[in-house]
Amino acid sequence: MNSDNQLYLLTDVKSNLRKSSLELSQWKLHRSAKWSAEALCGMPEMPPATKASTSIPTGMADDESPLRKRIDLSLQNSLVHHNNFGLSESEYDLYLLASSLFDCKEFDRCAYFLKDVTNPCLKFYKLYCDYLSWDKKVRGNMESVLTTGKNPKQSTHRDPNGDGDNESEKDFQASNSPRMASTGDSNQSPVSTILRELNSYLDTTVVHLNNGIGLALLYYLKGILLKLNDNRAHAMSFFLKSLSCYSFNWACWLELLDCLSRPDESLLLIKYLDQKFCLEPTENLGSQADTHQNIMIRFFKLVLFQEFSGNTYDFAHELEYLHGFFPNFAYLKAQNALITYNYMDYLNSESLFNEVVKSDPYRLDDLDTYSNILYVMQKHSKLAYLAQFTSQVDKFRPETCCIVANYYSARQEHEKSIMYFRRALTLNKNCTSAWTLMGHEFVELKNSHAAIECYRRAVDINARDFKAWYGLGQAYEVLDMHLYSLYYFQKACTLKPLDRRMWQALAACYAKVGNRQEAIKCYERALQLSLHADQDSVILYRLADLYEQIHELDSCKEFMVRCVEVEKFTEGLVTDETAKARLWLAKYEAKRKNFEEAYNYAVGVSHGTSQEIEEARAIARECRRRIQ
Amino acid sequence: MCQLNLSRIVWVLSNQPMSTHGTPTQHNSTLVISPFITGNAGSKSNANSSQANQVTDGQTTTGPDPRTEEAGNNWRESISHSPYQSIANSPLVQKTNPSVTAASLATPYHNAAQNDTGNGGNGILTSISKNSLFGSTIPSTLRKVSLQREYKDPTGGDANNDAPADGGSAAGESGNNQDGMATTTLTTTTTTTATTVAEFDISELSSIEKLRLWRHDALMQHLYKTAEFIGNKIYTMTGDPNDAFWLAQVFYSSGACIRAVELLTKDMLDSVSIMCRYLLALCLVDLQRYEEALDVVGESNPFYEAADQDAKKQNDGGIKLESSLCYLRGKIYAAQNNFNKSKESYKEAVLVDVKNYEAFEELIAKNLLTPKEEWDLLEALESEFSLLDDNQEMVKCLYTIRLSKYLNEDKTLDARRQLIEEHNLESNVDILRSQAEIYCTQCKFTQCLEICEIILERDEFNGEVLPLYISCLYELGAKNKLFLLSHKLAENFAKNSITWFSVATYYMVVEKIEEARKYFSKSSILDPNFAPAWLGFAHTYAIEGEQDQAISAYSTAARFFPGIHLPNLFLGMQYMALNTFSLAEEYFTLAYDTCPQDPLLLNEMGVMYFKRNDLHKAKRYLKRALEAVKELNPTSRTSVSIQMNLAHAYRRLGENERAIKCFKTVLEVSSKDSDTYCSLGFLYLKTKELQRAIDHLHTALSLKPSNLAAQELLLHALELNVSMNLDADHPLIVNSQLYESNFDQFISSRKRAPRTLDSVGYAKRMRKTHGPLQMANDDDAMDLE
Repeated sequence: MNSDNQLYLLTDVKSNLRKSSLELSQWKLHRSAKWSAEALCGMPEMPPATKASTSIPTGMADDESPLRKRIDLSLQNSLVHHNNFGLSESEYDLYLLASSLFDCKEFDRCAYFLKDVTNPCLKFYKLYCDYLSWDKKVRGNMESVLTTGKNPKQSTHRDPNGDGDNESEKDFQASNSPRMASTGDSNQSPVSTILRELNSYLDTTVVHLNNGIGLALLYYLKGILLKLNDNRAHAMSFFLKSLSCYSFNWACWLELLDCLSRPDESLLLIKYLDQKFCLEPTENLGSQADTHQNIMIRFFKLVLFQEFSGNTYDFAHELEYLHGFFPNFAYLKAQNALITYNYMDYLNSESLFNEVVKSDPYRLDDLDTYSNILYVMQKHSKLAYLAQFTSQVDKFRPETCCIVANYYSARQEHEKSIMYFRRALTLNKNCTSAWTLMGHEFVELKNSHAAIECYRRAVDINARDFKAWYGLGQAYEVLDMHLYSLYYFQKACTLKPLDRRMWQALAACYAKVGNRQEAIKCYERALQLSLHADQDSVILYRLADLYEQIHELDSCKEFMVRCVEVEKFTEGLVTDETAKARLWLAKYEAKRKNFEEAYNYAVGVSHGTSQEIEEARAIARECRRRIQ
Repeated sequence: MCQLNLSRIVWVLSNQPMSTHGTPTQHNSTLVISPFITGNAGSKSNANSSQANQVTDGQTTTGPDPRTEEAGNNWRESISHSPYQSIANSPLVQKTNPSVTAASLATPYHNAAQNDTGNGGNGILTSISKNSLFGSTIPSTLRKVSLQREYKDPTGGDANNDAPADGGSAAGESGNNQDGMATTTLTTTTTTTATTVAEFDISELSSIEKLRLWRHDALMQHLYKTAEFIGNKIYTMTGDPNDAFWLAQVFYSSGACIRAVELLTKDMLDSVSIMCRYLLALCLVDLQRYEEALDVVGESNPFYEAADQDAKKQNDGGIKLESSLCYLRGKIYAAQNNFNKSKESYKEAVLVDVKNYEAFEELIAKNLLTPKEEWDLLEALESEFSLLDDNQEMVKCLYTIRLSKYLNEDKTLDARRQLIEEHNLESNVDILRSQAEIYCTQCKFTQCLEICEIILERDEFNGEVLPLYISCLYELGAKNKLFLLSHKLAENFAKNSITWFSVATYYMVVEKIEEARKYFSKSSILDPNFAPAWLGFAHTYAIEGEQDQAISAYSTAARFFPGIHLPNLFLGMQYMALNTFSLAEEYFTLAYDTCPQDPLLLNEMGVMYFKRNDLHKAKRYLKRALEAVKELNPTSRTSVSIQMNLAHAYRRLGENERAIKCFKTVLEVSSKDSDTYCSLGFLYLKTKELQRAIDHLHTALSLKPSNLAAQELLLHALELNVSMNLDADHPLIVNSQLYESNFDQFISSRKRAPRTLDSVGYAKRMRKTHGPLQMANDDDAMDLE
């Protein structure tokens, strides 16, 4: 009787605690939820018979109203049966504790409590906590790198040839070492430890698992860890596995995207998704099990296009299709704006961003790109407004910091700008654009070495950032290290093969290292890609110049003529190149004794250095004399 | 004759702790200590092993070795319960309230005894002797006497042998015997159960006997002053060498060795009784007067000849004093750095009496034997084990798992399994330790650490596990735990070599080599036979690159500890560092003979052959090393470095693909290393994958900008890159052509009629882009600059 009473109380307290923990965490009162869950797990295990004994009305229960009893039981049942993701009762309690600890960001503790679980979902939870805890510690070290290691003064006196072992290089080494030390904490990186545990778990239990979300989550985690180990191919295959189990995990799609570094890989991936990829029907309900209907795949293709600028027609098609489903989805609009931005259509991009901001004013995602547009379009007042506005919304978002940094950069306050970029990076160390833009700022400050370091970080994180590669190329060009810069321009060019500037830079670089043949090829390619091939006097002149160097005077002359003709298209606008081309032609014709033409060319030279003008005049005089 | 005398004295020795049972109060605590609380009482073997047990007890409590001192502490702790219990359990209390004792007695058997007897009116002694827990209940002095008689009585063969000797030795004791005989008719050692139950009454004892009882009880309760006071009186009264011996025993126990020595030498007692001689030697060893001690025990075993014949017959279960003397001799030789003789003496001690674990332990723990010798010794002991009757298998297994793990792994495992399955010893310290040692030799430090922690949780300062634990912590770089452990040890065992070994290891981990060396040397001074400290001491020189010093230190270690291959291995490594490969090879071969499956050794041998340009051999050894660490977790330092070396061997052999694969595995599991990337870059350059080569070389340089090799390779690669033709095969062109088609569509889509996309109007905008694009281009270019 007495013990029955005790048991009854126990059950009651237990179910109430369970309920409170669940509800409190639903309404985000994390600490209260944590307290409840801890108390719940601190209670003794119920013997299995207990339930039966409580369901039989005992003496104590008789004192109570029978109604209440029924409610309690139904409450308990509803909790256990409806909301427990297939977990047993004790596992469910453990889950409650773990989730509340997770919400309070006590990752290590969470992992400790979950150390013996067998359920795949809980196992994921545990390993994910391990990973996050490691990540948190790494980030702590990262901050010190940012504040101490990245001091511009250190890098200014770096050996320009880059082959000496001087002190500043040691500083760089030192700035790199914490990053390494944190991964190799004692003697092996925690990532591989987690990975090992995960592997052994998968090896032992994968047979018993039906393809539920638990498996998908574990595969996802494995992908993340493999990616951290620079094993992208494997990582991709596991992301795909995870997605085929459970396609509605957008983060997983994004990770998959991150594994790609070259445009041709993206095409291969799309091909794979179209042809071989299949979805498990258990978790992907109804039509969503079909790869062509699955909305997530379509979203992914859209983003893939945004990142790698694939087939525009397909893109428009996808966008239209998705827009039918999600007419009010800010993300879609933002993607559209980003695409237009990538195609350098800043005007449209700006107006699209305007729409996004109007429809969802407190959405800060992607607004850093918006600020880039405003910066490039030199709309400083609007940029200032945006900076003010976003700071009010949330000062401590990397996006906000980037916007403010852009604002300061526009005001030529580069030091401050760098400070804000650094803050952005402290908040999110994987913010590529911040690294790249910070590199630009260092270039402005004529600190090429610091800039190079920034660009390097950017490409380390995201090898698809052509701006960072291009920046690297330029920075090395400033340092007269053309071999390096050539390589980086090649990289940038691989990413943006349709961008005239890339080819042009590449060509210039080839010319500088003395490989004229390739330089000519590159310039010709640039000319092909130029939208106004007839108006690009710079390329034309360079081409002509190169042909002269390899003694192909015919081609040289042809391009000189074309260069001069540019003036026709630009309504007589004279540039340095056209002037030089004219002078060259004048000399050329004079040599060929075509004095008439030489005279015409020479007279046209009205632009250039005084020396050139003098020379032109001399030729003109000479020619006139000869003609006469 | 001497032999016979000896055996009797063994009895005396084994009876000594028993004497406490004379006091009824002690009885319970002995039951707790006694190994067969639940076992069948009264059998002969029981009595024997209980005595054996208690002899070791006596030795450990008084043993001069600080490490055994710890074990002794534990014993003392368990014994020390008795004084408290004694109040509740004293016969007086029991007489009035038997139920209290019944409850307070921990042993079920004893409970049963109480219930059986039922009559609370009887003294506990009687009740127990009724339940035929015979000998232990009786004051030992009495029992000794009675047993001596029995020797004569029942067993004919023994009695014959005994007869002449007995006359000599028992003569002096006969006086006391009378009283004992009068009261105790009780025991026969040959019968399985005590059939005759003696009614026993203290009041019937003579006055001297009562005093002796008093003395023993005092000694057992460590009331040395009392024991000395009474013992002194007894000795003066009787002048009996036996009483002198007990007085000396009291002195020894209270740590006044010098007084014991004086007492024992003054009356020439050492020549009268071998027991006294043993005690004298023990005291002298404690006083570090080794020469004198050696004189006392003799330079070699005087009984060597006789031992062989008699040893087999004499199976009384106690440890033969002869064996103990041999052990003592070994100890003395060890203290005089005469390791060969010491080794021989220990071996002899074990061979004379297999029950002398102390000597066995000394042989194994101090690595005095090579693994092969160890296993040979076990073979030789085979016949000895048979004397242990029921416990034969178990003890054999227990000894087996103590042996070197380098050889006969299957046998060790077998023995372990047998112990776990048949004797239910799974959670026993020694079993766990053997497992930990196996893990350690396989370089599985994490598992080893786990087991060590399980052991240490139960027994925090287990001196046998601690060195293993400390080296695991070192391997795993757990400096925080080392710090805590060192402090704990230093607080509790300031005079122990392990303590300072731990401190030194901590300094090794935090890379304060100077300090580490100081403490290693302190540790090895405290215990010159402590191998890890010697090795650590040598390591400190090796780390600082002082090869000559390191070599001499390692050589000393190699001389001291032939049982471990590590000194030879490290010597080889040092010679390799000095580029004297022939010497290195010699030492490696020595180490290889001792332990052929150590991955570390195989790796070093591989490296050596690699350096000698014997690449195929190098490959073979490295592959074997990799095999040895196969089931090891692939992220451990050992396995990573083996993989690296193997990859380099492949590289030198020109097997580029395999080398690349190896390097890639290394990169997957280990932290990023500049040299690995550099090598990969080089290999890619060789296989003409220029892009990858450049990428990897860049990574190498970003990790370590001063990597000269990487710089040169990169320059070379970049020059190659320039001269590469931009033809159709160039990745750039391929890529750009891939996009050509898309580009056309891009252009055409601009010219396409506006697509109806009401709210976004995407295509319409695309059409508009024509104009602003140019301007935007320039802006963007500026942005880029």
